[in-house]
Amino acid sequence: MAARPSPKRPARPAAPAASPAAKPLALVYLLGWLIPGGGHLWLGRTVKGLVFLVMLPVMFVIGLALEGRLFPFTPGEPLVALAAIANVGSGLPYFIARALGFGAGRVLSVTYEYGNAFLITAGLLNALVIIDAHDIALGRK
Amino acid sequence: MDTTSHLMLMALFAGCVAVVGGVLLKDTLRQQARSAAEIFGSLVGAALVLGWILYFFPL
Repeated sequence: MAARPSPKRPARPAAPAASPAAKPLALVYLLGWLIPGGGHLWLGRTVKGLVFLVMLPVMFVIGLALEGRLFPFTPGEPLVALAAIANVGSGLPYFIARALGFGAGRVLSVTYEYGNAFLITAGLLNALVIIDAHDIALGRK
Repeated sequence: MDTTSHLMLMALFAGCVAVVGGVLLKDTLRQQARSAAEIFGSLVGAALVLGWILYFFPL
């Protein structure tokens, strides 16, 4: 039986070449998490980084000012744990607020839920910012 | 600012999210501004529409 000629495979698209100033991804994640926008600043996206550096902590502070709560990791309460994970996403502002005793939350306050919305969203947006920094570091953007 | 105004707080929240979203999604200033305006309008518009729908279905 004659061997069938193997069809020519299309060439694979070349992987994006690493830039000469490639940064370690772990450091991009760490910096981006601790300092909102820090990953972008380190990667040279100064304007974007500065916008995140201002807006995300401002959202976090508004959340605290509206008497929102920094949720604890409570075993057996998965929804509270999810909120706690989102809160930790804010990075250094979260740890500073915790250290200074902010974020106790006052359930009876009329703005309590708004405060929670600001605090949780600030952390989740920072996660999106870290993913964006990841794409930039890999040369996808 | 009246911090107990739900409408103001909603607009403030939408504004913050819109700025971050617009800058995150687009690369040029013009595109970012347009995207932020769209996000802001969508958030506030959806909240107002839902608010009016719920007005006709009181608990």
